[in-house]
Amino acid sequence: MLSGVLVVSAPGKVILHGEHAVVHGKVALAVALNLRTFLRLEPHSNGKVTLNLPNICTKQTWDVTSLQLLDTSFLDQGDIPAPTAEQVEKLKEVAGVPQNRAVPEHLAVLAFLYLYLAICRKQRALPSLDITVWSELPPGAGLGSSAAYSVCLAATLLTMCEDISNPLKDGDSVSRWPKEDLELINQWAFRGERVIHGNPSGVDNAISTWGGALRYQQGKISSLNSPPALQILLTNTKVPRSTKALVAGVRNRLIKFPEIVSPVLTSIDAISRECERVLGEMAAAPALEQYLILEELIDMNQYLLNALGVGHTSLDQLCQVAGAHGLHSKLTGAGGGGCGITLLRPGLSW
Amino acid sequence: MLSGVLVVSAPGKVILHGEHAVVHGKVALAVALNLRTFLRLEPHSNGKVTLNLPNICTKQTWDVTSLQLLDTSFLDQGDIPAPTAEQVEKLKEVAGVPQNRAVPEHLAVLAFLYLYLAICRKQRALPSLDITVWSELPPGAGLGSSAAYSVCLAATLLTMCEDISNPLKDGDSVSRWPKEDLELINQWAFRGERVIHGNPSGVDNAISTWGGALRYQQGKISSLNSPPALQILLTNTKVPRSTKALVAGVRNRLIKFPEIVSPVLTSIDAISRECERVLGEMAAAPALEQYLILEELIDMNQYLLNALGVGHTSLDQLCQVAGAHGLHSKLTGAGGGGCGITLLRPDLERAEVEAAKQALTGCGFNCWETSIGAPGVSIHLATSLHDPISQALGGL
Repeated sequence: MLSGVLVVSAPGKVILHGEHAVVHGKVALAVALNLRTFLRLEPHSNGKVTLNLPNICTKQTWDVTSLQLLDTSFLDQGDIPAPTAEQVEKLKEVAGVPQNRAVPEHLAVLAFLYLYLAICRKQRALPSLDITVWSELPPGAGLGSSAAYSVCLAATLLTMCEDISNPLKDGDSVSRWPKEDLELINQWAFRGERVIHGNPSGVDNAISTWGGALRYQQGKISSLNSPPALQILLTNTKVPRSTKALVAGVRNRLIKFPEIVSPVLTSIDAISRECERVLGEMAAAPALEQYLILEELIDMNQYLLNALGVGHTSLDQLCQVAGAHGLHSKLTGAGGGGCGITLLRPGLSW
Repeated sequence: MLSGVLVVSAPGKVILHGEHAVVHGKVALAVALNLRTFLRLEPHSNGKVTLNLPNICTKQTWDVTSLQLLDTSFLDQGDIPAPTAEQVEKLKEVAGVPQNRAVPEHLAVLAFLYLYLAICRKQRALPSLDITVWSELPPGAGLGSSAAYSVCLAATLLTMCEDISNPLKDGDSVSRWPKEDLELINQWAFRGERVIHGNPSGVDNAISTWGGALRYQQGKISSLNSPPALQILLTNTKVPRSTKALVAGVRNRLIKFPEIVSPVLTSIDAISRECERVLGEMAAAPALEQYLILEELIDMNQYLLNALGVGHTSLDQLCQVAGAHGLHSKLTGAGGGGCGITLLRPDLERAEVEAAKQALTGCGFNCWETSIGAPGVSIHLATSLHDPISQALGGL
């Protein structure tokens, strides 16, 4: 068990293309967003475990001895188990989380407890420690803040327990783990996500772990080779929306007008693939023509998403205002409000 | 040859769905617009033929004797010939139209001359007459004004020459011709259109002749059965655009991104077909649910047209302003500016509609409240028409 302070960070995510269509089996491109979640872990010997989440005004402390007394045999399942529904219920009791009420603060505590108990259980004694997490990401905006949190937790706890090595060498200000260690981090982060979301796709934690860009289709996730870093404006309209309702709306429109909506989904799939192709070309040497293509793809996708019915006047305004400055934007994620991304071509004057 | 005054009118047209996609073989729905072109024909015995087109500040007079002297043998081709390029060139000489310059005023005169000479040639002598044409349709806005003009000319000249009968009976204020006569009117109007446009699709004159709604795909035109008349706002952004450039832009985008654009065209085709289906259901008894579907189709098509790249900020503004009053709109025709149509559901509050019209006018647009699915070419009792039409036609 390492005894020094550990500080890690993990990025959020945005969907570049393919939101909503991905639900219907089409390709989506997810990219790591450089708004990050930071976690500081300090081991102690004071017999206490403290979780500090200032972004969501949450702080909880447990006695290690109480935690040690818990029957965590439900975590005993050979390999690395995914938490079942019963396990989650048991954890809620421990965390003091009311059943049937799943506010974000409770879920964040729950995910920590799960990862802490499961990762540290092999230690001779559960460690006392202080964890503080702070994020640049607004929660609940579809930007992957819960996955970034889970990834940070998994990475730090695994490193502290020496399940993976600490890659930071003398003289380094920042470092990253090798591939095999990132695999382990991702697997544990996914389990943390399952505690929070129930049945997540795994895209968010994958992007937060691996960074860069990845393509997602029908459960299969694969990283894009050396995608270029693209400058963007990320805009939050702060208009609340129900992702569930928006997804259902698209499904209903598809059922009502299958011949009209199905080709729209096909077109969006083609946009994702074309974008992937262009990003691949840009890896070598990004040229202005490629940025112009990216802008065309953004415009077309935004119109198609509106045709699916997931637009909103706030997003129209976002696109219009940015458009008046020659910039191209699209909603990202569920739509109906929420966030939009605006591409910043190199060479734009400030 | 009839000797009394004849007054006819013919509607313009809008594309309801399918513009741009139709170029790529998809279904388009065209509907008759109840902004109409009116034509008054008065036979004379003064030996002169006068054509009066106040909308485009054009007036020309010919001596019948000069026209009679023309070698119109090029019109002799058995059945009813379509004008060839050479014939058109010859006519331009007669009309005093410069070669290689085809401004609308010249083409309107040319079309008249062609139809007059071709239709009246069987008469013992070419008739002297005054024709005045006045239109509610703005020219060059993609609303079918030239076709409405050709249809009016064909209908009046054919009726005057008694190739078709005058369907107006005592007591009628307006009447329409029977099917066979409308066929003949349409054929001649199409030839007038060919003089003006070179190679038109035939949709504009068909709609103007038959009225109602028709479906058009890959050269085949068929009328929709009893489409309902729908109330709309027709808005002209007055932003000029090149139809040719916009059509080429879509083609280029299709070539550049075939997998992205081809499904968009497919989707638009499906919208046209769904709209045709709903209009068919509405024939019996229009229900609110059907209007709501029409609104959804309008919204989706507008987004898809934007995805094709034929949108414009003026059209965005049109849709937004109307949208703020709960109304649903789409560009009609070429896009890139030009006109838009806004559906007016029957359950709308009068005040909301008036507010929307005001707001659109306030943007600097021209806005008409009218209907689509309008009657085709019709003949009117001259005294039944009111101002401004009767004034414009020189007092009836």
